[in-house]
Amino acid sequence: MDCQCCQKKPAHIRVCDIEANTMSEQFNVCADCWIFIKRYLFDHARPLQPTREVLQEVRQLLSSQEPKALAKLEPPGEITPVPAESLPVCPECGMTLAEFKHKGRFGCARDYEVFAAHLDPLLERIHDVTPPRHRGGRPAPAPGADERVNASRELSGLREQLRAAVAEENYELAARLRDRINELERGNLTPGANP
Amino acid sequence: MSGLAGFDCFAHPLGEWLKGSGPDSDVVISTRVRLARNVRGFPFTGRASAGQRAEVLRLCQDALHRVHLEKSVITLDLQQLGEIERDILVERHLISRELAGAEGPRGVTFGRGEMLSIMVNEEDHLRLQWIKSGFDPDRAFAAIRRVDAALDKVLPIAFSEQYGYLTACPTNVGTGMRISVMVHLPALTLLDHVEKVFKAAGRMNHAVRGLYGEGTRAFGDMYQISNQATLGRSEEDILASVKAIVPQVLEYERRMRGELYTEKRELVEDKALRALALLRSARRLSVQEMMGHLSMVRLGIDLKVITDVTMDTVNRLFILGQPSHLQAETGATLTPAEREARRAELVRGKLATATN
Ligand SMILES: [Zn+2]
Ligand SMILES: [Zn+2]
Repeated sequence: MDCQCCQKKPAHIRVCDIEANTMSEQFNVCADCWIFIKRYLFDHARPLQPTREVLQEVRQLLSSQEPKALAKLEPPGEITPVPAESLPVCPECGMTLAEFKHKGRFGCARDYEVFAAHLDPLLERIHDVTPPRHRGGRPAPAPGADERVNASRELSGLREQLRAAVAEENYELAARLRDRINELERGNLTPGANP
Repeated sequence: MSGLAGFDCFAHPLGEWLKGSGPDSDVVISTRVRLARNVRGFPFTGRASAGQRAEVLRLCQDALHRVHLEKSVITLDLQQLGEIERDILVERHLISRELAGAEGPRGVTFGRGEMLSIMVNEEDHLRLQWIKSGFDPDRAFAAIRRVDAALDKVLPIAFSEQYGYLTACPTNVGTGMRISVMVHLPALTLLDHVEKVFKAAGRMNHAVRGLYGEGTRAFGDMYQISNQATLGRSEEDILASVKAIVPQVLEYERRMRGELYTEKRELVEDKALRALALLRSARRLSVQEMMGHLSMVRLGIDLKVITDVTMDTVNRLFILGQPSHLQAETGATLTPAEREARRAELVRGKLATATN
């Protein structure tokens, strides 16, 4: 079967639209598109799994995308098809419903959205409350704090890239990466494009 | 103790919360309020790569240094500490056993008084706790809430409108708040009523467990009462329920102590005074034995059967006699027999100096 996103490569990954909250709405995509979809959902702070609409948007983006932007995406690595009984899957940390049920621990904050449809009975039981909704305090807005975290995330990515560049003896790239790292470490916290 | 980098745990006095001076200190050792928090944008510790954990540690410690926590704090990198040093922090209630035994980048920051402690990269990125002497949930909460509010300003915290503060374990989500009250229940234990307390507390969504030892057998008759639910209640609701339930346990324990003292006076005096005599003369003491006898001495002090030992001394011995404190104080690796001998020596020393 061909990937329903790029409609070129063979599809190896099945994802389902859990907004529709039904296993019937499933998409088959290739590993490359899956990475792009995850990234897209994350960058656009989209909830949950891809919907038909998201797939459409990603397809358009892909056809208009410069190759450079695509190259920025993380390498395919150990992405494997997710069996249907493990769905839904967190696009950010890869936690599956099956794994969460087994471990009893979430992988990231996003999981609360991803598994929302399955959480209420569990939370009702644990906390003996219906509906299981928060009633306490909240964090105060933190101007500038997000920028710091973004810079920090960028830093750890850059350090990885630097290691790879040095290993490949690509010293020109390594020098540029090092400059950016120094800049970030000096407290210039504006996250920017990767060199 | 070079690994503890500027923190000499013997020059350093034990936590102020051990003073035995707070409200209801006849039964309550301490009240701890803990808040679980995570930094937005990173996977929870259990799913984060070593690189991400290092980044979270750096971010959190950077934030902790930018907010004014206390006059002076101590920050330790747990990766650089040996096993015994980490165990010492566990025995002092500064870190959890889980954090001590974990791997990868992780740390702790605590105040000189050892009331404030902040673990980084435990199950959640941040575990903030404040311990007060005696039963004092309001003030412990107010203190840790201040720290939390200060951190909010410099760190983006994972939060959702629906579920509140998002935590790795669904049992902590919502307020992320756990109040744990450490209580000494020798009379309820002697008269076999502890099981009833366990059940009653459980019905009211609170858990009681032995502080040391396994299952229902609690060495030293020390127990911990904590709220179970963190979601669907405000922080004030949780405080109110703890303040409704714990005093009932305290009253129950006091009533049983009173009963023991009026109806079984001779028995209690005998148990307390024998325990003290044994501690003052033993040449070898296991940790269980030490805690068991200290428990009886503590009861004896409360019933005024024993007047030449302070609550403070007993509370401190509970910690100083723990294996890693002994080990570290001696410097050398001790065999179990040597450790028992050293423990007996320590206890004799402390109880003798308390005489004057
Ligand atoms: Zn594709
Ligand atoms: Zn996740």
